[in-house]
Amino acid sequence: MASNSASDETSVSAGDQRVDPLPTTAKKRRNLPGMPDPNAEVIALSPKTLMATNRFVCEICNKGFQRDQNLQLHLRGHNLPWKLRQRSGKEVRKRVYVCPEPSCVHHDPSRALGDLTGIKKHFCRKHGEKKFECEKCSKKYAVQSDWKAHAKTCGTREYRCDCGTLFSRKDSFMTHRAFCEALAEENAKALTTATEDAVAASTVVGDEEGGTAAVASSSSSPSSAVVNPAPPPQMPTAAERPKQEVEEPEPEPEPAATVLHQAPPPPAQHQVGDNSGSNTAAAGGSAATSIFASLFSSAAASVSRSPTLPDFTPLEPISLSLSRGTSTFFSSSLDRRPFAASPPSPHLSATALLQKAAQMGPTASGASLLRSFGLHEQDSPAAAAGAGSAALPNLLMPPPSFFATKPATLDLLGLGGGPPAVASLL
Amino acid sequence: MMQYTEAATPAAPPLHHGGGRSSLSLDLPTKPNGPLLHRGRPWPGFPSSSAKSLGSFNTASCMEQLLVHCAIAIHSNDATLAQQILWVLHNIAPPDGDPTQRLTSAILRALTSRASRSGAFSSLAAVAGAGDSGGAAHSHRFSPLSLAAFLDLTPWHRFGYSAANAAILDAVEGLPVVHIVDLSTTHCMQMPTLIDALAGRPEGPPFLKLTVADWAAAPPPTVDVPCEELGRKLVNFARSRHVVMEFKAVPCEPSDGFATLIDHLRVQQQLVLCDGEALVVNCQMKLHYIPETAESPARRAEFLKAVRGLNPAAVTLVEEDVDLSSGDLVARLRTAFNYLWVHYDAAEAVLPRGSDQRWWYEGEVMWKIENLLACEGLQRVERPEERSRWMKRMKAVGFQGVPFGEEAVAEVKSMLDEHAAGWGMKKEEEGILLTWKGHNVVFATVWVPC
Repeated sequence: MASNSASDETSVSAGDQRVDPLPTTAKKRRNLPGMPDPNAEVIALSPKTLMATNRFVCEICNKGFQRDQNLQLHLRGHNLPWKLRQRSGKEVRKRVYVCPEPSCVHHDPSRALGDLTGIKKHFCRKHGEKKFECEKCSKKYAVQSDWKAHAKTCGTREYRCDCGTLFSRKDSFMTHRAFCEALAEENAKALTTATEDAVAASTVVGDEEGGTAAVASSSSSPSSAVVNPAPPPQMPTAAERPKQEVEEPEPEPEPAATVLHQAPPPPAQHQVGDNSGSNTAAAGGSAATSIFASLFSSAAASVSRSPTLPDFTPLEPISLSLSRGTSTFFSSSLDRRPFAASPPSPHLSATALLQKAAQMGPTASGASLLRSFGLHEQDSPAAAAGAGSAALPNLLMPPPSFFATKPATLDLLGLGGGPPAVASLL
Repeated sequence: MMQYTEAATPAAPPLHHGGGRSSLSLDLPTKPNGPLLHRGRPWPGFPSSSAKSLGSFNTASCMEQLLVHCAIAIHSNDATLAQQILWVLHNIAPPDGDPTQRLTSAILRALTSRASRSGAFSSLAAVAGAGDSGGAAHSHRFSPLSLAAFLDLTPWHRFGYSAANAAILDAVEGLPVVHIVDLSTTHCMQMPTLIDALAGRPEGPPFLKLTVADWAAAPPPTVDVPCEELGRKLVNFARSRHVVMEFKAVPCEPSDGFATLIDHLRVQQQLVLCDGEALVVNCQMKLHYIPETAESPARRAEFLKAVRGLNPAAVTLVEEDVDLSSGDLVARLRTAFNYLWVHYDAAEAVLPRGSDQRWWYEGEVMWKIENLLACEGLQRVERPEERSRWMKRMKAVGFQGVPFGEEAVAEVKSMLDEHAAGWGMKKEEEGILLTWKGHNVVFATVWVPC
């Protein structure tokens, strides 16, 4: 097989219409895609031709090529006669291609596309079947190269929390991550070895040393603030940062830290993390650290010197704080049932959580105040059974004569009307 | 931005909705020369095509007029007239209708609530108290996780987060100790992203102190855990990012200009060595809760002056760009009607009708409307002011605006790309604006001491 001339592509497809070169009078629409040179040869290929792949097959090895040029190059390898399109002396006429789909904008020669690959891809994308499906996200593509390009990036812009929830944006993911139980569990796991004997003390949080400004709280202990490795007044150098990373998994707190700050056993799990992290820093014995230590202990001291400040918010049980948020004005009308005091199970997605929350929350939806009193005849017969339904209609539903006797009122309303308009209202 | 999502386009359907109810609808379009029709008040954001389909009649304008007359009737104790209008409005504005109807319904509800507390409407009092199930949505308490997902639904809050976080990163670049004072309404939901960004900065993470203004009676959204618990989670998260962080919740109230918070910060600065500590005050839609009444006409300026006295490295100020602080009920009603429609319109674009998210979202707006219109005095806490007034005030106490960097703008834009097409942003010399269908809704600014 072998096609040689460029015109071969058109001749292969029977029934192709051959479009005359654009008359030079064609309107020029410069900025639209597919604005060919008016002198170009316009070529219309049949859908079959456009969809065909590997039309140019090597007779020797049956390898197929999409382009004649590539076949010709291939033939060189077989030491067979080959013929690359040469630049002839006379200028080759530029060719443009129109889409065979009559309803398509690129069917019009004035919007023909400039290259064969372009028109093929266009036809597949816009008018072809989407045969290539991404396994990860089920998105479908008509052109294989599109599908391949998508597959390369699919999933890479996604963020997955350990709880299984997926996010497309990092900020959404980070916000979720910070409050997700999955993170807490992960950290807890990493720290259990270090905290076994310390966890018991967690109930005394906030008591130590008269409370402290560092809620970290609650974390409380000034010790945790004091020994915080971070930032020495100078910038942490690049060499120091990797150190912090190694610190975390380190299970055994060094006794030196406790001695140094005379702190009770760290109360909560994450504080232990702070301690264990800082221990290495403390063990490093840098002067900077101890400067910081004094800095923060003075912070704690300063707070305890000013008892009028509301600094020492003891940790409240959750139930207590739930009762705080009621605004005085609305309290009578609000349903303040606390919802879902139990921690959400980690495997629930955010959406699932929202749904779950909804079931626990108020169930009434959309019923307006007035509607619940039987004013809405069609829609809410059931709601009419609500309290006060007997009293209200009289109050809110005017006798029909109302409008008739008070036309002035209507004008005030801007209803523009006399009795005829009123009739339609009632 | 002139693109509209498909869902948002039919935002202004003809008044005749639903066949069964049509006999109760206002039949105004048949009277093309009525007084309403020449008001010509533009209803922002509605594509002209749908406006044309209404002929010369403007549903929203009609509803606004009725609401105004209702408010006036209530104000002048004309119970009969007020009840008439309430009844009419109720019939043309179902709470589950289109965005304009929902907005009208919420305002109507607020007016009913207001009326029920006035003497002439005492008969309504029992009603308002007993049948308030419609308002329960705003009392929903989110878990921190569900709140995070909820706030992702629209850029209303995320706009301020992105802008402020980018500005904060710029302001504290290279500084080893960063102290963020968070005055926000969304329970630290902005912080994880900031912590993560600080963790990744080239010069290494700073020591991070976070002081949170803990307003116990804060408006919705509310969470089902105490502030300290959020703090614990944040500290935990920060540690996972190798950021050492201290968290402090300071109980305070906007009614006294967050006086306890200011005192706390002052004491900290006086008694603690704060050299090298970069103080950043992050104000996210919270300062408009500071009341300015006859007794305290300049409390907001006083607060800002106090903040200025702390010599912060930066102050971020994000607020709704609307003046709802007027003492005049009708003025507030009109402004609210022409501003808060954005919430309903935007919700219509992304949240299915009847969904829980929609219910909670609109419940929050409803709370706002009720507070705006039904409450007076110190109970009326929703008092946003437009951008120009805040800017004037900031300049008066010795701050100067800083333009947002290219990266901040790009970050905000990419975030907006995730949301409905109606959202956009405008960059101005001092600050950026979140827009819905071209209308300014929220502004974000950054300030440094002069």
